[in-house]
Amino acid sequence: MIGTAASNRRWRRIFLIVGAILAAYALLAPLTSLEAAQSANIPLLADKLWFRIATIIAMFAVMATAWNIIGGITGYAAFGNVAFFGIGAYTTGMLIAKAKWPFLLALPLAPIVAAAFAALVGLPLLRLRGHYFAVASLGVGVAVGELVQNIDYGGQPVFGGASGLFLPILRIDNRGLAFFYLMSAAAVFSIAVTWWVLRSRFGYGLIAIRENEEAASVLGVNTTAYKVAAFALAAALTGLAGGIFSQWNVFINQENVFPIEYNVQMILMALLGGTGTVFGPAAGAILLQLLIQFLGGTLPISFDLPFVSSDARPIVAQVILGLLLVVVVIFVPRGVIDFFGGRTRLSLSYLRRSLRETSL
Amino acid sequence: MSTAPAGPQLELRGVTKRFGGVAAVDGVNFEIAKGDIVGIIGPNGAGKTTLLNCISGVYHLDGGDIKLNGSSIAGMAPHRVARLGIGRTFQIVKPFGSMTARENVGIGALFGSAHARRGVKQAFALADEVLALVGLKAKADLPVSALTIPDRKRLEVARAVATRPQLLLLDEVMAGLNNVEIDEALEMVRSVHATGVTVLLIEHVMRVIVGVCRRAIVLDSGQVLAQGEPEVVLRDERVIQAYLGERYAKRLKSS
Repeated sequence: MIGTAASNRRWRRIFLIVGAILAAYALLAPLTSLEAAQSANIPLLADKLWFRIATIIAMFAVMATAWNIIGGITGYAAFGNVAFFGIGAYTTGMLIAKAKWPFLLALPLAPIVAAAFAALVGLPLLRLRGHYFAVASLGVGVAVGELVQNIDYGGQPVFGGASGLFLPILRIDNRGLAFFYLMSAAAVFSIAVTWWVLRSRFGYGLIAIRENEEAASVLGVNTTAYKVAAFALAAALTGLAGGIFSQWNVFINQENVFPIEYNVQMILMALLGGTGTVFGPAAGAILLQLLIQFLGGTLPISFDLPFVSSDARPIVAQVILGLLLVVVVIFVPRGVIDFFGGRTRLSLSYLRRSLRETSL
Repeated sequence: MSTAPAGPQLELRGVTKRFGGVAAVDGVNFEIAKGDIVGIIGPNGAGKTTLLNCISGVYHLDGGDIKLNGSSIAGMAPHRVARLGIGRTFQIVKPFGSMTARENVGIGALFGSAHARRGVKQAFALADEVLALVGLKAKADLPVSALTIPDRKRLEVARAVATRPQLLLLDEVMAGLNNVEIDEALEMVRSVHATGVTVLLIEHVMRVIVGVCRRAIVLDSGQVLAQGEPEVVLRDERVIQAYLGERYAKRLKSS
């Protein structure tokens, strides 16, 4: 390739600067000029729905980044992480709705309970490897949702049952904006945690486990403790997102905090962006969530898909996501973040090389 | 402990490991003194690697006891055995594929012996020292996939050495190497031993056993057949019989 090193470095710098400006705009613009923007009817900012979508993107950035810690860095493909999201949501939700705790006091309990649960199920689950772990963790993910909906005590559903749980609305100004910031802060925090992990002794131990668990153990890595800690850390971050979601959404039930498709989506985001990297999963979350919202027809900027009626859009979205998963795993195994490292560029030869690497 | 242990560094008493009905290691006794360099030989399936797995905690014992400096390490998890100062390599090398040579060795330096724990930066500095010791200094930044087979064997040794073991268990680090490479690997083992590490090595190449070992232990069918000076042990009729069969041993004797 022609002059790759220098031009890639330049592209990388341009990308970083543009990305930083966009991120700063997305985070700061609404703070200074929300009302002005809305009265001037500027696209994105004027639309309340936009905040909802931006908050959902941040929420998935947390979940994908958290999944990356156990799935990407440690190499244990957890398929049931939505359980921790739901547990976080129900922990905060129950404390607010039933125990009348204030939101900011109830929120820290979400990651704690989720992490404690992960440690408890992690001890037996993390003895399994490969597909066995993936299937078992999926089972836990489904089971927790069912349990939460169906546990009764004295004829009364403990967690609100099938009708779900209603939380009192937080009475503050610019609620949507506040939750957008809170969820974004959680995403930034998750990314910072990943950054720290990858530079720490802990992170090196996790990568060693991913690459060869037996070799790691004879070199002195306490593999059981490290795996459980990684699982609990992922659960804590996922639970934090769930806790914020419960107060933000005001209503939680099995369907909206234990959706099985979240399991697949957060993994797909991490794969799309780049597993094992700091920013990959968050980048994947932004790309994929925008695509999901677009395909679902819920994006403020939208247009009709050819040959697809609006009713069929969600179904078509699932099909396209499935195809995307296959394409990403085969052709971009290191994720799109690979193109921003200054070393590789998306080209036909890159795709061909990936195909050779990933096929047996 | 206030005084240095007077007894052997490593002591095996009746060590037994069964797989189903087969006793792969069957009542093995031996001792290794601090600073010694001992070879374990024996025909295929004699239980050499199983024995190493028993010592390093990869397998749980079905009987007997293993003592390091007088205290039992039987039943300990591998990482605890490693932290007490027993390093090991695998016969089929198990490198961390996504890492460079330096990072591989860095893992050993980061974890390993508990008494000399260090931070990430210092661990990588130690990794560089160890890479120089085994002759991989120039290849420190190469990914594992770019290393040759002999280099991967060196890397396996370097990783174990970086854990700062008092006792190093080497499982056939010379297997599959040509004569020149064996000489280089021998040099590497000698230089590691010279740093004060006790070495217990499994080897099929007799030249290695005679060349570096002060003592050889012969295993056959999971039991210790003979032990002593390598030259003496290799002339032992029972050892020849175990390797070459009864008829060959008789013919050798009558000729």
